[in-house]
Amino acid sequence: MFALRGIAVSLSCFVLLYCLLSALVEAAWSPLKPLQVAQRSVAAILFALRTLPLLVSVIVTFALVVPSFRLLEPRSKQEGMAMPLALGVCALLLIAYSCFRVIAAQTSTTRLVTRWLEGTHPLKASADSAITFHSRRGAPPITLVGVLNPRVLVSEDTIALLSHDELNIALKHELEHMKAWDNLKKLIFCFCPFPGMAKLESAWSQAAELAADDAAVSNQGDAVDLAAALVKLSRLVPIEGAPVCSMGFVAGSLTQRVVRLLTWDEASKERRVRIRIWFVVPFAVAASLLVAIAYGPVLALTHEVTEFLIR
Amino acid sequence: MMKASSIFGLRPRLGPFEQQVLEKLWKHGSATVRELLADGEIHQAYTTVMTTLSRLYKKGLLDRVSEGKAFRYTPRHTPEELQRVTTLDSLRQLLESGVPSSLPLSHVVEALSIHDARLLDELQLLVERKYRELHGQKKIREKS
Repeated sequence: MFALRGIAVSLSCFVLLYCLLSALVEAAWSPLKPLQVAQRSVAAILFALRTLPLLVSVIVTFALVVPSFRLLEPRSKQEGMAMPLALGVCALLLIAYSCFRVIAAQTSTTRLVTRWLEGTHPLKASADSAITFHSRRGAPPITLVGVLNPRVLVSEDTIALLSHDELNIALKHELEHMKAWDNLKKLIFCFCPFPGMAKLESAWSQAAELAADDAAVSNQGDAVDLAAALVKLSRLVPIEGAPVCSMGFVAGSLTQRVVRLLTWDEASKERRVRIRIWFVVPFAVAASLLVAIAYGPVLALTHEVTEFLIR
Repeated sequence: MMKASSIFGLRPRLGPFEQQVLEKLWKHGSATVRELLADGEIHQAYTTVMTTLSRLYKKGLLDRVSEGKAFRYTPRHTPEELQRVTTLDSLRQLLESGVPSSLPLSHVVEALSIHDARLLDELQLLVERKYRELHGQKKIREKS
């Protein structure tokens, strides 16, 4: 009974914290518009914000709620189980729904990609063996598909339409998505369901496109080639929709991307600050130290809060 | 020609008669109430046509100048412009309504915006201009 109550209380805390943090992120993210920051950093910040509720909820549950319950909850105490059980069931439903979304996204992607890959062969224009081209009509012009074994699919129409330089820079753009693990990030989004997160995901998607543009382009010629490829490929109409775990080349705001590429210059790229991952390390270390030093009182506080919330 | 405010503030919801009057005006270029009634295709009363024109003017679809005791009305937009404005406005409303996560609707919006042929033509022109500019710079550098 003690173990069951512990599991129910932990799950309840997890679901409450997850919903609270998700609602906070949803309400607070849009005014955060970092100026003069590289698009890769914008994408990283938006991804961190989108996944923050899940990450924090899991850490707090395992590092604080579970130990505080085990250490501070009297075993002989008889308390009502209705509330923790109800919330626990909600948490389990949430986890099941998240898993279902991930599996559904992965399955539908695999199914579609398998169909697109029928009769394909490696693209001679590229040295990278991960790149193949497909002849199926209706598939997107250039798309990065898959999470663990990503491939860039290029349609025959695309090869016919683009010049050598344009095709190369478009492929480079997709490879930048691959380096950034963007398809995995999309799959992670599926694991963090919460209503009203569409705008945040869409902003991330746009930032990821701009970041891939920035990373692919190294001079003005590249920028114009990429803009030309974008405009040309936008005229191709994909009959089939893109799967979840894919990053299409023609995505995001076309106008913004093209205008940005046409006004590209080295100086503006360098002026933009790139927020690197190690910027966060001091804060993470400080927070961990603080928790480690005051672990006892923090556990007691967690227990009190848990008791208050799930009474 | 078209003010941004008038474009984005515009939400034309036209009734069948308003549509008919607007089409007549597009045909004429500009007209007074009397001129619209003259060819006998419109079988409504003078005051009805006058009220309809006045309503279209208030909706921001017509311009008017006084001509004697009456007004001469001119369409503010071409049929293509009006269609574009209406589509943009509908899409804007759709996007502002907070569409839920990863829906096919977002793909529809994306597809519509992507395949706006006119927009693509404009972007194509910009790209070509930039190409010429770059080639021009290259030639100047080669000469010097």
